[in-house]
Amino acid sequence: MKTINSEHHLDLTQEDEKHYSTLNLGPTHPATHGIFQNVLMMNGETIVGAEQTIGYIHRAFEKIAERRPYYQITTLTDRLNYCSSPINNIGWHLAVEKLLGVETSKRVDYMRIIVMELARIADHLVCNSVIGVDSGALTGFVYVFQEREKIYEIYEELCGARLTTNLGRVGGFDRDFSSAAIQKIKALMKRLPKVLHEFENLLMRNRIFMDRTINVGGISAERALNYSFAGPNLRAAGVDYDVRVQEPYSSYSDFDFVVPVGQNGDTYDRFCVRQTEMWESIKMINNALANLPEGKFYTDVPSFNLPPKQDVYSKMEPLISHFKMVMGEIDVPKKEIYSAVEGANGELGFYVVSDGGRTPYRLHFRRPGFIYYQAFPEMITGSSLSDAILTMSSMNVIAGELDA
Amino acid sequence: MSDKDKYTVVEAPEGYSGSGFFATTLDKAVGLARKNSMWPLPFATSCCGIEFMATMGANYDLGRFGAERLSFSPRQADLLMVMGTIAKKMAPVVQQIYEQMAEPRWVIAVGACASSGGIFDTYSVLQGIDKVVPVDVYVPGCPPRPEQIIDGFMKIQELVGNEPLRRRYSPEYKAMLESYGIKTDSYDK
Amino acid sequence: MEYTILLQELKNKFEDKILSVDEAADIFTLTVNSEAIKAIVTYLKEQQSFIFLTDLCGIHYPEQEKELGVIYHLHNLVANKRIRLKTFVSKAHPQIDSIVSLFSGANWMERETFDFYGVDFVGHPNLIRILNVEYMDYHPMRKEYPLEDATRLDKDDRFFGR
Repeated sequence: MKTINSEHHLDLTQEDEKHYSTLNLGPTHPATHGIFQNVLMMNGETIVGAEQTIGYIHRAFEKIAERRPYYQITTLTDRLNYCSSPINNIGWHLAVEKLLGVETSKRVDYMRIIVMELARIADHLVCNSVIGVDSGALTGFVYVFQEREKIYEIYEELCGARLTTNLGRVGGFDRDFSSAAIQKIKALMKRLPKVLHEFENLLMRNRIFMDRTINVGGISAERALNYSFAGPNLRAAGVDYDVRVQEPYSSYSDFDFVVPVGQNGDTYDRFCVRQTEMWESIKMINNALANLPEGKFYTDVPSFNLPPKQDVYSKMEPLISHFKMVMGEIDVPKKEIYSAVEGANGELGFYVVSDGGRTPYRLHFRRPGFIYYQAFPEMITGSSLSDAILTMSSMNVIAGELDA
Repeated sequence: MSDKDKYTVVEAPEGYSGSGFFATTLDKAVGLARKNSMWPLPFATSCCGIEFMATMGANYDLGRFGAERLSFSPRQADLLMVMGTIAKKMAPVVQQIYEQMAEPRWVIAVGACASSGGIFDTYSVLQGIDKVVPVDVYVPGCPPRPEQIIDGFMKIQELVGNEPLRRRYSPEYKAMLESYGIKTDSYDK
Repeated sequence: MEYTILLQELKNKFEDKILSVDEAADIFTLTVNSEAIKAIVTYLKEQQSFIFLTDLCGIHYPEQEKELGVIYHLHNLVANKRIRLKTFVSKAHPQIDSIVSLFSGANWMERETFDFYGVDFVGHPNLIRILNVEYMDYHPMRKEYPLEDATRLDKDDRFFGR
């Protein structure tokens, strides 16, 4: 029998291998949220090794991006981590702004922070409720999805779409926050604390949940750094690396927020870190809304700032320039940059090499999900199958981000 | 006395013989029972899967239509809901899952990627699942709103409610499955 | 930590292996000889505390003599400094030493670069395709291959303006 997991150099003798059974988990499986395959080698109930196969949803984003002008790539970034699309969109716009050397106004920065923190709340709501579902607690999931519907309604006010938002422009937004949008955000910020408290009462000090998640799927800080973990998974292991604090972008340095850090790197720590990050996001949104500065919601980036629609429909030059921008007849300096934002899963990086043409010469997405999912076999060796399921759902592996 | 050659026998009009006549009310009764208790298999691969999760949630509630019990095992499912992009690596898996389902089975392709490859016209994406399995209803959208998914589901319900009982054993149906490369050896009863 | 000091120390240790330096780029960038890449990364990790491998990706410049490139981004978390290393190999001999022994996270990143560009990482425990199908026989991200599926028969050029 072929020794699976050869790269982890298990010291298995021939005798051992005869007693072990293989169990195929996926690619279609209710517990794998997304399609990726794990073949587990099991000694009874204990997992001895795992071999992973990904690529079942490889959509060749990086090759597509070499053919698309800069605005059309925003729609690709939507579909990376589709639970929190606005963070990907704004991250991409920040990368293009870094390429062009554009400074945005404070109002734009604060609006972006509000949208990104809403997206972060949406993603963490999914991840935490799904940890509950995988351990048998379905109620939290249903309660929490109502709040996601409210967040979707806010996205609809801002950009028209629910999930794949394609939100914003290079240099800001295409429209200001309408009064309806601000009203909805304020209403949500009033509701959300009560729902989060209810959700925590169900799970966080629940004896069964704690028994199922404490000391399950742990990883030490050294191994996590060696695997290039980022985001809540790394912070649960004890390392306080957050791109918003290390290299502040979009005026995050104006805000005072706590970066939660865990101790053991196990499933319970990841759950608690995400929960605390949601509370911090609520504080940040309230803060940003209360202190939203006056100003323009866009920046006059030549060749990227689309003219207002009334002018496009009535005058000649705005019509021509609108057409040229959307079709990509624009000048971009010949540079290469790396720009990172703190996505819901960690450091989402964009490495853009531009040769001055209408499309990037090379675009590489540094996808946190792809990088930390490698550590999964190491995290589950020695635990049981049900622990492996919980570890996988607490790591928040999103298939779109895995395969790109 | 009666000369049989003087009488001509007229063919009964369609619907008054065969499966159209004797079994109409039975067809409708079975269809009614089936359509209000479909057990879907959510084959969610990407973004459309998240919209499906919203459809199953309390706001849009697919459970009202009888689809409360999701089955992740194809052996117990009626309806294969393919939601999201299917890459070429995944195509044999879709076909295998389809073959494991028992008749009568329906397929709904949710989203632009499942219907036709969507925005991903690349070397690695299957341009529509109807290259590997026969599809009954296509729901366009990227991703489709939950109301659209429910609309697609209701169209499937229409199909289920009006389906003749012997459709799955007819030679045309078998020929269609053969054209996809799906074996129909056990379809004789 | 200042980049000039770092550059001086690197030059002292690896004089002829550093091919060019770009200090004006957004991140301090070094282009190095492909044979010395593992030694340089080891030095940066152990002596200069660049303990975080942010990214590893490939690139293809068809007009250069050494067409395939591998680009490493390293990060010193404590001093908050990043560094970018670039190294190039030719298509005929695309061998580079693998850095999996230093950073376990480089495992899949190198597999992805192999899958897309065909760069052969010597010493990698399991260098097979990761994202594409196993029976694919070409490396799709190279510039000579098209985006669309070349074997499609149903796409009618009349509708696509070609």
